Amino acid sequence: MGGTVLQLIRPGKGNSMMGLKPNRIFLSTLTFIALAFFLSINSVRAQEPTNQELLDRIETLEQELQYFRESLATNTARSEQAEERAEAAEIKAEAAARTAENAVNTASAVAPLPDTKWHLAGYADAGAMFRTNGGDDTFAFGHFNPVFLFQYKDIVMFEGELEFEIDEDGNTEVALEYAQLDFFLHDNITLVVGKFLSPIGQFKERLHPTWINKIGYAPAGFGHDGVQPGGDVGIMVRGGVPVGKRSMFTYSLMVGNGPRMGHEGNISFEGFGKDDNQNKAFGGRIGFLPVPYLELGFSFLKGKIDGLHGEEEGDAHPESISLDSFEFEPSTATVKLWGADAAYTRGPWDFRFEYLKSVRDPIYSFDEEEGEVALLPEMTLTAWYVQLAYRLSEIGNSSFLHKFEPVVRYGKFNISGNHHLEEANAQTRLNIGLNYWIAPSLVARIGYERRKFLEEGLVEKIILLQAAYGF
Amino acid sequence: MNTLKNLILTAALSGMIAGPGLAYAQAAPDQTDPAQIARGAKAWADQCGRCHNVRAPAEFNDEDWYVAVAHMRVRGNIPGDVIRDIQAFLMASNKKK
Ligand code: HEC
Repeated sequence: MGGTVLQLIRPGKGNSMMGLKPNRIFLSTLTFIALAFFLSINSVRAQEPTNQELLDRIETLEQELQYFRESLATNTARSEQAEERAEAAEIKAEAAARTAENAVNTASAVAPLPDTKWHLAGYADAGAMFRTNGGDDTFAFGHFNPVFLFQYKDIVMFEGELEFEIDEDGNTEVALEYAQLDFFLHDNITLVVGKFLSPIGQFKERLHPTWINKIGYAPAGFGHDGVQPGGDVGIMVRGGVPVGKRSMFTYSLMVGNGPRMGHEGNISFEGFGKDDNQNKAFGGRIGFLPVPYLELGFSFLKGKIDGLHGEEEGDAHPESISLDSFEFEPSTATVKLWGADAAYTRGPWDFRFEYLKSVRDPIYSFDEEEGEVALLPEMTLTAWYVQLAYRLSEIGNSSFLHKFEPVVRYGKFNISGNHHLEEANAQTRLNIGLNYWIAPSLVARIGYERRKFLEEGLVEKIILLQAAYGF
Repeated sequence: MNTLKNLILTAALSGMIAGPGLAYAQAAPDQTDPAQIARGAKAWADQCGRCHNVRAPAEFNDEDWYVAVAHMRVRGNIPGDVIRDIQAFLMASNKKK
């Protein structure tokens, strides 16, 4: 009997089973015991037990009563303790939760970044081209250009860009656009070593990625075989210096392996891994921003190029040399380039202007048409464009309309002193386009391009569709 | 031409040695400093739309922003102190609520 009662008043189990407090259980137990006591006295009377027997029973009952009292005391104490502990635990848990929450906040707010940080960026585009006179309409996968950026503290950054393209036959072409180490020497001086995009002018270094370029294709004279150098291998110091409150002066000065003579008498500025002569090219760009949204730039470059031999070195044909055929030796010529650019980028307006002119002195070099080394006359390349874009972000209330940006560009590429190049490339080019900006670096565009070739007056019209994404 | 080349090379090399020391002494951008964040917000609006559309703060996490903005320090010829303000602003504003 005692066992069952004990079970009932054990804290926890008893409580939940009966839904009663321990005191109550105890009271009912006492009542029960008292009742039993009287009943037993009656029965004792009935059976007339001996005094000794009665005394024994009373003693047992007293002992049991004592036992229950004690266990009640311990249980109450225990439950009180438990309650206290629970309360303490709750306080602790609350504190812990608060600490954890703080920790999460702090972690996401000011956790120090690791010393080596990196970022994967780049861009991709795809499109289609429809020509109005002749030529096939083509879907064109444009570019996939991943950019890899690694930075160690604020000491150095590596930046490298690869360009993947497919050619007309479906072959994948890979090119290294740039791979350079930028040393942050000072707030106003960065030292660049490696292969970098040319700082000459503004299109190549700043505007050519298709998610930035409002037209999606280069202006005449600013792509391959143009006036604007693509890049160089060498060193460059660059930076910006504030002048007064809002004005800034910028500089990018480079020494590089410089240009090379191309096979068609052109000058190739693609950034060569080895210099072809002892004379490095020296150049750069100086910029001035009277206010942040207006920039004026001046660029220059001076280098030397060597004329080409007809055959590979050591592949001469001694028997072809006769006394009456005199062969010229390739010579070295100076290439000079200068240019000016301007940008106005305020609110919805984006205006760009750029002019570049290069002059190559007369040079003895292998001439494909003549089949021998010949004197090529002075060659002058001049290219310029003006471009105006206006984002409709401030017109009306339609957020759909706000995403459109009409753009117009007109430019001219002049070539003198190289008939072959002039025929192929000299032109005026008009572009009219419409950009639909889905996000700041995600655009779908349609454009119309009209090329008028200066040499023969030929006109080519093209419709361009393109989607570009910078990530 | 050669003198110029040597001059630049020498300047570059001495800079390479002195540079890391200088860079190391600069205070890192603090994305909890309200004054720096405010300066950064203004510089961001001034500088980051000069060449392309302004990219939204929510596009990248802290590390990506730190590096991308340092990249623009080179590309945009933006002074280092202005860059740290912009880093602080972007890292303070990129958290999704
Ligand atoms: C001088 C022009 C110029 C300025 C000013 C400029 N950017 Fe850029 N930005 C570029 C060019 C060009 C690229 C593309 C780089 C590439 O693909 O090689 C680029 C790329 C980016 C990218 C893509 C990731 C990357 O690093 O390539 C982000 C993000 C970006 N810029 C943000 C900014 C921010 C923020 C600022 C203001 C601090 C800024 N830009 C100022 C020209 C500029």
